[in-house]
Amino acid sequence: MDLTRQTAVPDHGWTQHYDIVQEMGDCYATVGDYVQAQDCYERAAMLAPDEAGPYMGTGVIALQQGKLADAEIAFRVALRLDAQCSKALAGLAMIAQQQKNWQNAFDLYLKSLELDGDNLTALLGLFQVSCQMGSFARVIEYLNTYLNLHPADTAVMFCLATLYLKERQPDRARRILKDILALEPNNTDAKNLLEEAENRIPIPA
Amino acid sequence: MITDKKTFQRPRVPGCGPLVTVLISTYNRPAYLAEALDSIFRQTWPNFEIILTRDGGLPVRDVVSQFNDSRLTFIDRDQNRGLPYSFNEALARTKGDYVCYLGDDDKFFPHHIETLLRSISQNPDYGVVYGDLYKAHCRVLPDGRRRVLAKNVEISRDFDRMLMFQFNHALHVSLMHRRDLLDKAGRYNESLNVLIDWDLTRRLCFFTDFLHVPIVTGEYYAPVGDCDRISVQRRKNVNDYIRNLLTIRTTRPPKPWPCVEDSAIVVLASRLDGALEQMLRDIWSHSFYPYRLFVPLTAQERQRFQSCVPNLVPVEVRPEDSLSVRLNKMLQQVDADWTVFLPAGISIPPDEAMFVERSLYPLLSGHQTHLACQIVESDDTHFGAAIYTDTLRKAITRHPALDPQQALMAAGIPIRKPEFKEYPFQFDNLLSGAEMCQLDGQWTRAARVYDYMAEHHGNAVWMRTRQANALLQAGHYAHAARTIAEVNRIRPTVASLMIQARAEKKNNRPQIAAGLYRQAAGILDGQSTGYLPAAADILIPKTQSNTASVQPVETCVWT
Repeated sequence: MDLTRQTAVPDHGWTQHYDIVQEMGDCYATVGDYVQAQDCYERAAMLAPDEAGPYMGTGVIALQQGKLADAEIAFRVALRLDAQCSKALAGLAMIAQQQKNWQNAFDLYLKSLELDGDNLTALLGLFQVSCQMGSFARVIEYLNTYLNLHPADTAVMFCLATLYLKERQPDRARRILKDILALEPNNTDAKNLLEEAENRIPIPA
Repeated sequence: MITDKKTFQRPRVPGCGPLVTVLISTYNRPAYLAEALDSIFRQTWPNFEIILTRDGGLPVRDVVSQFNDSRLTFIDRDQNRGLPYSFNEALARTKGDYVCYLGDDDKFFPHHIETLLRSISQNPDYGVVYGDLYKAHCRVLPDGRRRVLAKNVEISRDFDRMLMFQFNHALHVSLMHRRDLLDKAGRYNESLNVLIDWDLTRRLCFFTDFLHVPIVTGEYYAPVGDCDRISVQRRKNVNDYIRNLLTIRTTRPPKPWPCVEDSAIVVLASRLDGALEQMLRDIWSHSFYPYRLFVPLTAQERQRFQSCVPNLVPVEVRPEDSLSVRLNKMLQQVDADWTVFLPAGISIPPDEAMFVERSLYPLLSGHQTHLACQIVESDDTHFGAAIYTDTLRKAITRHPALDPQQALMAAGIPIRKPEFKEYPFQFDNLLSGAEMCQLDGQWTRAARVYDYMAEHHGNAVWMRTRQANALLQAGHYAHAARTIAEVNRIRPTVASLMIQARAEKKNNRPQIAAGLYRQAAGILDGQSTGYLPAAADILIPKTQSNTASVQPVETCVWT
């Protein structure tokens, strides 16, 4: 189904049936009603067999239920239907992460972010895996790219500040933490980390 | 005559209240005809008659026999004579006070007739009322059944007479009119093979205003991919389509026209040559407001003059007559309220669709009788303008030696070019502007334009839906949800429910969103129509009866 036919105005486009069941599935998944969600995704897949969306949804609910093998199959099908599906790569990365396969997870998150620098799940996943691996250079680059697009996202700003501290760049960490506190004066995590950063001495260049 | 909604009561049995005639013509669609007929028999308004015509094609007697009801009249004809002939044949047998139409593959919702009848009864100054329809995009399965993929209200446009002259914006299936109006407007034009509905609708608007009620009262089907609809197939022949279009635009029903002021286009030419003949053809293809075209010709020129341009009035002049004299002679024959005089040789831009109307419309809309609105392309050497005919006559009579421009100036008539904001179709200009904003990703700006349009240009339900969608795209989720909730309170459609669902999902209210998606799915699957009877009071306008252009029919009296 050619979803590009969906135009910008609500009174045009002809994939409503697919859109409704797919998006309804997402709603059920969000509230934890996985049976209804799965039913919706199956109907969506029948309406649009070439769409990756229903398989993505199936993968997410399988992942949330700890069914890693089912999730992996679903994400791989989604990726086969849409090779540019950043979310499917992030899903596979999450599975690798849960299996403590850090390097594989790291690579998949990176691929996911290359396709969509705006993918917050991949970004935060990359951050977590980086912390495990002690390798921060690439993730700092992606976090900065993301913050250029979303300059007020304090959760990502905090991650970046943490990484700068780990990379022994407390000046940069302090600047970011002060920015967070300007946006959210009561952010306790930022306050604590800033206090820690104030006591760090930067490594001479 | 019924003018108070409290007295509008649905009769329990046929034979009471106004009789509504439903016309259907069928050709080679027996599979869908049963559903179409069934949708009429499910109407909440029982006092109707159906006149079904088989316009050749596959037999449908088996389908018809399923409906053993005296309200159904069946004209079974083997020869295919086309839709206009079929409708005229059926109209000759109608007994109804009101007439409405249904395609043989379309469906009325149960409240269709009652909603339109109630609307026209509460607003007796109107002779025509129309609602909205779903366009049901469907995939035709191998067994012929239709799987609906989407239902959109693609046209929900308040009546605009100027727009109706240019193109149709009232779907025929959505429309109900008083039968007696056909005595004035005439019947279907059997020389047309496409846009026949617009032709009739356009002629009706010379005699009455139309009332738009933004309630969805039915649906028509559009198969995804190559459409088998005859009207769609015929539009593929571009030359034939344009022939039909120009014929319709130049059709002038018999006078008097209570709702339209006539215009005359007067060409100031000193001789007949190829350029003049081309100019006449250009005027024909670049104007849509009703007019007659006056052209000065000597007796000799008249003998050799042949033109396919309709509504042409040759006015005999002498070779030595000056332009002023020629104008004067033509004006003596003009019986229109407004005159547009054009110099021969004026350039008509090929892509200008309202060459004359840009100057005429400001005068018409403000009834400005003491102003000459200059043709945009004209200048002092090729001067042309639109003006109230009597005003022009007086100026020319008082200053016979002067050319038209000088005569108008000498008579103290202000002359100016129209401003862009005075052109017709300001609503459409704003709409295009908002859509351009959307294409550029400026969703907040688009939302503001839609908000402005809803406040100042009518079409509120449609514009609020667009506004909510733009707000959603812009990330203003709470505002989007509030805006579209107001729409859904009175007229939920699949699209509007989906917008609200998406906004609520973004507002972290997935359970509410899921409920809205379920409602949308219910309409899509045909389990509900989305119609809210209580909202009809809000959506059906109530106008004060004033100078009715057409007297309501007597048979409308009932309690």
